[in-house]
Amino acid sequence: MRLLLKLAYRYLRRRPGRTALTLAGVASSFLLFVCIESLAAGLDRALSGQDAARTLIVYRMNRYCPQTSFLPERYAKRVREIEGVESVLPVKVYLSNCRASLDVVAFQGAPADELLATRPIEVIAGDVERFKNQPQSALIGREFAARRGLGPGDSFRFGDISVDVAGVFRSRDSVNEGLILTHLEFLQRASSVNRLGTVTQLEVKVDQAENSGRIAREIDALFKSDEEPTDTRSQLQFLEDSTRELRELLAFARIFGLVCVAVVLVLVANTVLMSVQERRKDFGIYATIGFRAPHITGVVLIETLFLTLGGGLLGVVGALCAIHFSHLSLGVEGVIVTFDLSPMVFVRGALVALVAALLACLAPAWRAANTDPQLLLKGA
Amino acid sequence: MTFIELQGVTKSYSKGEHRITPLADVTLEIKQGEFFVLLGPSGSGKTTLLNLLGGIDRPDDGTVRVNGTSLNSMGPRGLAAWRATHVGYVFQAHHLIPVLTAYENIELPLHLFTLDARQRHERVALALAAVGLTDRATHYPRQLSGGQEQRVAIARALVADPPLLICDEPTGNLDRDSAQATMHLLRRLNEERGKTLVMVTHDVNAASFGSRVLRLDKGKLLEQPAESVQ
Ligand SMILES: Nc1ncnc2c1ncn2[C@@H]1O[C@H](COP(=O)(O)OP(=O)(O)O)[C@@H](O)[C@H]1O
Ligand SMILES: [Mg+2]
Repeated sequence: MRLLLKLAYRYLRRRPGRTALTLAGVASSFLLFVCIESLAAGLDRALSGQDAARTLIVYRMNRYCPQTSFLPERYAKRVREIEGVESVLPVKVYLSNCRASLDVVAFQGAPADELLATRPIEVIAGDVERFKNQPQSALIGREFAARRGLGPGDSFRFGDISVDVAGVFRSRDSVNEGLILTHLEFLQRASSVNRLGTVTQLEVKVDQAENSGRIAREIDALFKSDEEPTDTRSQLQFLEDSTRELRELLAFARIFGLVCVAVVLVLVANTVLMSVQERRKDFGIYATIGFRAPHITGVVLIETLFLTLGGGLLGVVGALCAIHFSHLSLGVEGVIVTFDLSPMVFVRGALVALVAALLACLAPAWRAANTDPQLLLKGA
Repeated sequence: MTFIELQGVTKSYSKGEHRITPLADVTLEIKQGEFFVLLGPSGSGKTTLLNLLGGIDRPDDGTVRVNGTSLNSMGPRGLAAWRATHVGYVFQAHHLIPVLTAYENIELPLHLFTLDARQRHERVALALAAVGLTDRATHYPRQLSGGQEQRVAIARALVADPPLLICDEPTGNLDRDSAQATMHLLRRLNEERGKTLVMVTHDVNAASFGSRVLRLDKGKLLEQPAESVQ
């Protein structure tokens, strides 16, 4: 076994340029693959918030971007009176960009006490009291904090809006972690479209998940002929609708990622086949001495595994590092999807690399095992 | 004592529509400790014959027995194991593994035996000394001259101490002096270590080192007229 390893290493080292290029090719394909998978996993995670089933989002009918949805704040009081409603949080949303884009800045303003009581957030740095007492202050999600390098005591300015960071929070619902949470009135006054008394959406918590359909219908019926008719959906539905295009695009991108892996396979198989071809004479020598097919294929297999697994792991680790240090996130219609760095993404990347490695082995191994020693030596 | 016995051996290849028969009903006996030389022009079937008695190829017809064992009845596995223990091969130059040093090339056959690293080292050191290349152990084949490469190949053929050495035009790619040195080395192995040598060549000078010389022509073995072997 040590001999096989040594031979594989020597043959790889004999063509350093080819080995390096192949590794780089494999690594970049896996980088892409893991980035796509990580975003897909992040999206799944965003859609699996635990409160999604018990939370309804009331939006202005036929409006899909926070920039254009305006509901009178007083609606909140009327919704609270519906049977089965536990709480209503009026939220003003202010976004840097409504379309899908990286590095979205998303403000959400809501009455401080209600906000802290209903959103599943936990302040991990800074001071909640300071947030409550200072109208200009904000709590920021840890994803956003990491992305912009902000912490308690810093101030952050975006367009006309300037806030002081009172604290950083984390949340079990990943969609929260990219947000800037502020006071409702502050955001109503500060945003360029100054509309006091209006909010973007109402977040309604119901007592039991199975009541949410009925309550949604009651809410919409209540405001049907009011000045701003509403459209009420479960939070899950809301998230799915907001991210629909992104998800369709991502479904396509995942196929694309797999195609990349297939390209890797072909690339590695080609490299190793070239190397096998170049070494036909050597195979003849091994065979004459008394080595048999398993020895010869063993070396080829080790080389293939090294190229695919080595390049694959480089790509996977590279992607995870890139995502980790860049804190990339993708915002669409106010929903912020962060790339998922969970071990599952890593494991999936590693597994795909392994399967690719085994598949890439087939052709070269078959070729190496089926070389006839005497033919190789003759005329060599 | 008869060491190698070929009985009615025929081997033919089809090349497109043609059928060529390099060996037609060849019968041959080689004694233990003999330095047997087969002369013949290029394409006369010399390599084909060596492949048959070295267990690399099988005859279409006839039997090949070496040291009492019939090679005909062995499968590919059995032949590979038999080759490892019974035969050392020396070919025309450039039959070393390019990514291994001289030392590692010589050590290669020993990996097929259950020897520990120290035992392997002892044997490789002996083989290197036997061919006078102890100071070239860490050189790669491309760093060696043609003659040195051929001596490494001989050391590799020797290292597992097989009773039979098969040499296919060992001086084919060498200059006169290296060829001469290689032939002296082979003769010493035959005389001092009692190895049975079977060598094919089309070099009459190299053939003169043999204890018996036959000529292969048109598929048949002929006695070499004494005068042409000096
Ligand atoms: N595997 C093979 N397939 C077809 N023809 C072969 C094969 N091996 C050898 N030959 C043919 O058999 C003849 C003898 O070859 P060989 O034994 O290599 O001759 P030599 O070693 O004397 O030069 C040549 O004509 C060669 O082309
Ligand atoms: Mg030949």
